[in-house]
Parts: sequence; C-alpha cells; structure tokens
Amino acid sequence: MLEYLIRRLLQGTITLVAISIIVFGLASAYPGGIMNAYEENPDVTAEDYARLRAKYGLDEPVPMRYVRWLGSVLTGDWGNSFVSRRPVLQEIGDRLGNTLLLMGTALIVTLLIAIPLGVISALRQYSMVDTALTALAFAGNSLPVFWFGLLLIMVFSVWLGWFPGSGMTTLGKPFSIPDLLWHMVLPVTMLALVTAAGYMRYMRSAMLDVIGQDYMRTARSKGLTETQVNVRHGLRNALIPLVTLLAFEIPLLFGGALYTETIFAWPGMGRLFYERAVKGDMPVVMACVIIFSALTILAMFLADLAYTVLDPRIQLGKRKAA
Amino acid sequence: MIWRRTFLSLILLTAVVMSACAAPAAPAAAPATDQTAAPSEPVRGGAVVVGTPQEPGVLNPLLASSSIEDAISSLTIEGLVQVDDQGNYVPVLAEALPTISEDGLLATYKLKPDIKFSNGDPFTCADVQFTVEAILSDLSGASTSGYNRIDAVECPDDLTVEVYFSEVYAPYLRLFSYIIPRGAGDLTALDAWDFNRNPIGTGAWIVKEWVAGDYIEFMPNPNYREAGKPYLDSLIVKILPSREVGMQLLGSGEIKALWDITEADFPALESMAAQGVSYAGAQTGENELLLFNFADPAVDAPADASANPHPILNDVRVREAIQLAIDKQEIVDTLLYGNVNVGTTVIPNGTFACPQPPSEFNVEKANALLDTAGWTLGADGIREKDGVKMELKITTTSGNLLREQTEQVLVEMLKAIGLNLIIENVPSDVLFAGWDSNGMRKHGQFDILLYTTGPFLDPDSHLYQNYHSNNIPTAENEGAGSNYSRYVNADVDAWIDEAASITDVEQRRALYCQVAAQINQDLPRVFLYERLLLSGYRTELQNFKVSPGPSDFTWGAADWWLAQ
Repeated sequence: MLEYLIRRLLQGTITLVAISIIVFGLASAYPGGIMNAYEENPDVTAEDYARLRAKYGLDEPVPMRYVRWLGSVLTGDWGNSFVSRRPVLQEIGDRLGNTLLLMGTALIVTLLIAIPLGVISALRQYSMVDTALTALAFAGNSLPVFWFGLLLIMVFSVWLGWFPGSGMTTLGKPFSIPDLLWHMVLPVTMLALVTAAGYMRYMRSAMLDVIGQDYMRTARSKGLTETQVNVRHGLRNALIPLVTLLAFEIPLLFGGALYTETIFAWPGMGRLFYERAVKGDMPVVMACVIIFSALTILAMFLADLAYTVLDPRIQLGKRKAA
Repeated sequence: MIWRRTFLSLILLTAVVMSACAAPAAPAAAPATDQTAAPSEPVRGGAVVVGTPQEPGVLNPLLASSSIEDAISSLTIEGLVQVDDQGNYVPVLAEALPTISEDGLLATYKLKPDIKFSNGDPFTCADVQFTVEAILSDLSGASTSGYNRIDAVECPDDLTVEVYFSEVYAPYLRLFSYIIPRGAGDLTALDAWDFNRNPIGTGAWIVKEWVAGDYIEFMPNPNYREAGKPYLDSLIVKILPSREVGMQLLGSGEIKALWDITEADFPALESMAAQGVSYAGAQTGENELLLFNFADPAVDAPADASANPHPILNDVRVREAIQLAIDKQEIVDTLLYGNVNVGTTVIPNGTFACPQPPSEFNVEKANALLDTAGWTLGADGIREKDGVKMELKITTTSGNLLREQTEQVLVEMLKAIGLNLIIENVPSDVLFAGWDSNGMRKHGQFDILLYTTGPFLDPDSHLYQNYHSNNIPTAENEGAGSNYSRYVNADVDAWIDEAASITDVEQRRALYCQVAAQINQDLPRVFLYERLLLSGYRTELQNFKVSPGPSDFTWGAADWWLAQ
C-alpha cells in the first residue's frame, strides 16, 4: 500500500510539472499580457515600459521565466499578483472557499437528484415515469449551460424577482446564512440541473446492469425485502461506476465554476482565473491551474481508494497474478 | 443608393435582434432626456451602489494600470490640478492653476490651507515632494512623463510649491493629478503597502471594506475639507459579471450607475429611459479611426516606408479616394443613432481643439481620382493596376459588435469605388500586442486598422507618439512609438517639436492646428467619428458627471445625493 501511495504521488508530481510547463508556455506565447495595459498610453515613456517589463520579470526569455517561477514555487513562494500586488495565495485564499462551497453544494444537489431518479428509472424500466425522466434527462443534457444560466437570471431574477442574479450577499446587509443560501439558489440550480441529467442516465444504466445479476436473485431468495435487496446489494454495486464518473467530473466541475461564477458574479476562483487570464496576470493564472490540476489528481486518487471500500474485489498496489 | 439603404437596414435589424437577445424587451419609450427637475436642496444620507464589470486590482495610482483603478482611487485620492467634466484643468488641492515662469522652467503652486488627509495628517508641500519621489522610485509603475524633467521641488513654506524643470515640459498642467501622502509607506516596499488597497487621501470617500471579487464599500472621510459632504452615508462599488448584467441591474434600480458603457449601448439606453435611466458622457478627444499602412505589410517593420511602399495605400490619391467614398454621417446616423459627432480632426476638443472642415462624401470624385491614379476597373468590378488587385484587409478587435457593423458598412461603401475590402479581425490582445509579442501594429503587418485613439487633454505626447517620424516602431528602437502608418512629414515633425518646447497655450494651439490640417491632407488616418466616455445612471442620482480625466465617473462623487 505504501509503495502504491509513493508511486501515485510521483506520478501526480510529474503530471503537475508537465501541466505547468504546457500552460506556462501557452500563456507566454499568447500576445499581449499585462504589458498591453501600457501600450496605448502615450505618456508611458520607453524607459517606463522597460522598467515595468523588468519589474514583472518579462524581460527574460520564457524558459528562464519558467525556471524562476518553478524555483520560487518549490520554496513555497507563489509570487505576487501583477494586478493587485498581493501575494497570490492571499488572492486565491479569498476565493477558494467560495468556489468549494458553490461546487460542493452543486455536487451534493446533483447526486441527491440523480441517484434516486436514476434508480427509480431503472426499477420501473419502460414505464411512464422512466420515459418522462429519460426525456427530461436528454433535454437537460442538451441545454447549453451558459445560455441556461442567463435564462435563469432573466426569468427568476429580472422578471419574477424571486432570487438574486449575482453575488453572494445582499449589499449593505450584514452576513447571514439564509441570505447566502438565497444567493446560491440560481447558480446551484444551473449547475445541478444540467449535470444531474447525465448522472441520472449513468445511474439508470448501472442499476439496470446490476438488477439482472445472480447475487440479486440470491439476495431475494434468502428472504430480504425488495428495498433491502435494491439498496444493499443493488445500489451499492451500481454506485461503483458512478464513483469513476464522479472523479472524472471533478475537473468539469471546476470548469463549470469558470462560467457559473462568471455569469453569476460569484467571487470564486473560476471568475478570478478568467479575469486574470484576460489581464495576463501570470502568477495568479499559474497558481489557479496548479491548484485545479492538483485537486483533479487528488480526486482521481480518492476515486481509486473509494473502489476498494465499495468493491472488495479490487485491491490496490497488487499486480495481477499472471 | 437603394441597395445601400436596404443593406443598412438589414444591419440595423441584426443589431436590434441581438440587443433584444442581450436585454429583455423593454417597452419603447421617448428618447432619453437629461435630468429635468432641477434639484433644490440636497437630501442627506442613504447608500448608493454603482456597478463596474471590472474589479480594480489596486487603488494606488503609483501601481494602477487600468482606467477603473484610476476612477475608483479618485474617490479617496485627489491632486493639485484635475480635469473637470468639461475637460478643463481645475485646481483641486491647489488654490489656483500654477503660474509658470517666462522660460517655462519654474511652476509655482499655492496650496489650499488647513487640509487634512483621511488619517489626520496635515497636507503640505512635503507631500508634493514625496509624490515626485514616489513616482520616480524604482518600484513605481506610474508614468514618469514630465516628472522625469523635474530637477527639484522646493518648499519655501508649507503651502507653496516650486517645481523646477530641467527642460520645458509643455503639458505641465497634467502633472500632480494625484498626491501620495508622506505617511503612505516606505518606497522600497511599495508592493506591500496597505495603502495599495486602502489608500489615505484628501478625497470625500475612504475604503471601509473590500470583499475581493464582490464589492468595495466606501464611507465618508471624516476629515474631508468641505463640511457636510459627502451627502451620502455609504457608497458601494459592486463588481458585476458583465456590462449586459449591469444594464439590467441599472434598469431594475439595483445599481444607480454603471461604469463604462459604449456607443453600442445607445439603443438599450433609450429603451430604458422610461425606467429612469440616463447617461452622462464626456468628450475624450478620441476618434474612431481608420489607420493606413504606408509600408509593405510583407516587410517586417521597415523604417522607411518610401523604400518599401505599400502597393496600394502608399499613394495619397488612394487614401483620399477612400475618405471621399465614406459617408461618415450615414455611419453616425444609422449605427450610432446620431448621438456622436462625425470625425474631422485629430484634436476635436479640449483646450487645444483644432476644428477642421468635415471631409467631403463624393463617390464620383473618388472614382475620378482613382482613374487618374491609374487604377482601372476590372470585369469583376474591382480596380487593378499593374496586375495588382485593389484588395485591402481591414482589421479590428473581434467581438465588438459596433466595430463589426462599421466594417460591414465600409465594405459596401468602398465597393462603389471598386475597392474590395476584406474583413479580418483579431482579438484585442493580438491587435494591441507589443513589439516583443509580435504585435501586428508594431511590426506593420496590416493594411487598414479600425480602432480608437486620440490626444485626450493635451496633444503633446499623442501627436509625438503617433505622427512624429521618431516614433516609427522598428527593430532598432525595439518597437518604441505608435506611428504605425510609418508616416513621415518633416513639417509635422518640426511643428510637434516646437510646440513641445514652449508653454504658451495660444502658440502651442496654432502649431497643433497646423499639424491637424497637414494630417488631413496626408491622411495617415481617417477619422470616422468622435468617441465619448460614457456611463449610465439613474436619474434619482444627482450630480452624476463624467470627466474625461482619470477620475471618470467618480468626478462628482462628493456631491452625489439621492432625490426621493
């Protein structure tokens, strides 16, 4: 087990370094960046321009810049944002919690919707309920997320005025949990409805696979109730493929943070990443990429661990016997 | 003409449909009227939320790199001389505009007495000294233009400032538009200053709370020099996801003002007039313009365009024909609802305004000119000369609806003179990229560009950077300068140089007007229409003004109050 952990850790590190090289290279190759802010200003003298480039460390060749960046990150110094001059970790620290709150809630709501509906759909295969849910799922899956978010704002925020369309809190009011939840309704709905559609379909097919298995019949024959059979033997086995899916969905969820936060002005990392990418704030962009990537790698690893809990047949770190 | 009208109305229809998608259909209303009922007595108290689609990174002018940072920091930080909503320099912390010596080398400011910073420190001449020191310090990100010619700042007494220049700095009035107090911090640790996000100033407002990515709340400065002001209790700057959302919030009243809208928002603004939405605009001196490349775009950044001439655009007759074929008034009327002025001159307004006669719209004359120049009409309706087809690329920032519509109109207009205009747009980062990022403007890899620029308040640096032959970006000067046309005119060079060496406004204006007239003859650029700096607001918000200077929409913020 220890050997396995070390191996995974090494793999993860190599992946992270590779990602950072690619992103750093791509971001540096894109024209513009932070210096664009000074291009159009005739009062910025050539000396000012050169001094600023040196200050941002942009006067060195890209490989040198990368090595310098990597070196300071390894010593724990993520640098200062070009835009706000604050330490990058402080910038991200202000926002990471907001993103995790939004994404975590959305994920939980997604599963709360998708798992029961998927199971019902499978147990009542080809019934009216199943057909209706299938239709809904396809509708949900084919909704363009961005557009759906704007639609939600237009209907529930602008026309009906039921829910706020932007931000985390009501301005000028002291912070309160109900106010926060109220602000979460629309962004969570947008994320949950769209992703739940896909999950529901997966849950349905996973459950259908399990229903026909011999051990289900065995469970029934030893006198368990239908609910006990479906939950203890059916659902538990059907959840395994969902766990894989979940691990792969984590990066998509962070991607989702990017547009959800941008549409709903949610002060999280997705929006921070977007804004700073536009402005060429390299230290912040790189830190966001590394954090997103690290969380993704961690999620994959946890998925593997979760297998062993859910499915005793899988053992980690043991090579298959020939 | 009929086909063109049909075409324009099609474009218009597209615009209407697209704006209808962006904003919910609002009831048609009477055209926007400016505030009518004259306010009598200011009402005290209340909070105002203003929206901006961009979040400032810092509120320290020494580090600021965007206009929203300048605008928001102006709530707290004031200067000796600033620009009002009419585009005039006005004394703010100074008693009056500075006096300048005969030789232009000594400017003297008298400071207003008994002014305190928000932290209680008195404001004196020493703070002006510190400001210069700060701007010129190693870690500063501020423009040093003008300050780099200051030899010394002397303080004969606390309220008198003598600024000695090593050489004449003609636009000296633009200096000291912000003051950094001595107590701000240690200049060797500028990046770590608390001041960067919680500045100390003499202005009406100070930061109360900044929730990153969400909002910045301001409260009244207890030491503000005008008793009883600001009228409001609280001012909140809300960070919005986009301008479109901002327009909706403005309509619903959730925000009272919206920073930085553009001419493309005119239809939406007019449809919201009935909901109490209006706009304030300032003339910035900028033009939406066409910029012609005099040099061959296949050659990388040639210093001398006449040795590497553009196969089509190097001939002034072609450039003139293009201007003659463009009906600027029609562009303004159909795409901008007649709300802006047609472009005529490089310096349209401000202290140095040089009005020029509007260009003629005359397709026959344009065609005749091209005939003379040897461009003959081919069977396909496109002119050619010596085997070269009259095909030119026009490039602007992609995703800008108004600019894209303008391009489409231009394509149609120029068809009438046998010129095939091909639209090839790029993201703004690519268009405006610097020399080292292979910027297409810097390296001269274009035919015609469509974008906005202009002299703002003092034409000195703009004319020098954009039209002086010293400022043609080449490998030798590492791409410095903005003379992207690679335009060379010895007279223009001499006039710009001479104007930079004197401080007398009348003499400078006369020289600049010679430059403006010459530019309209040589046509390195064609000015389509004058740009406005616009912000939307709700009419219950009183004294909302926009300045073309750095303070932008916060110019009147000490005087804001809410009508019931």
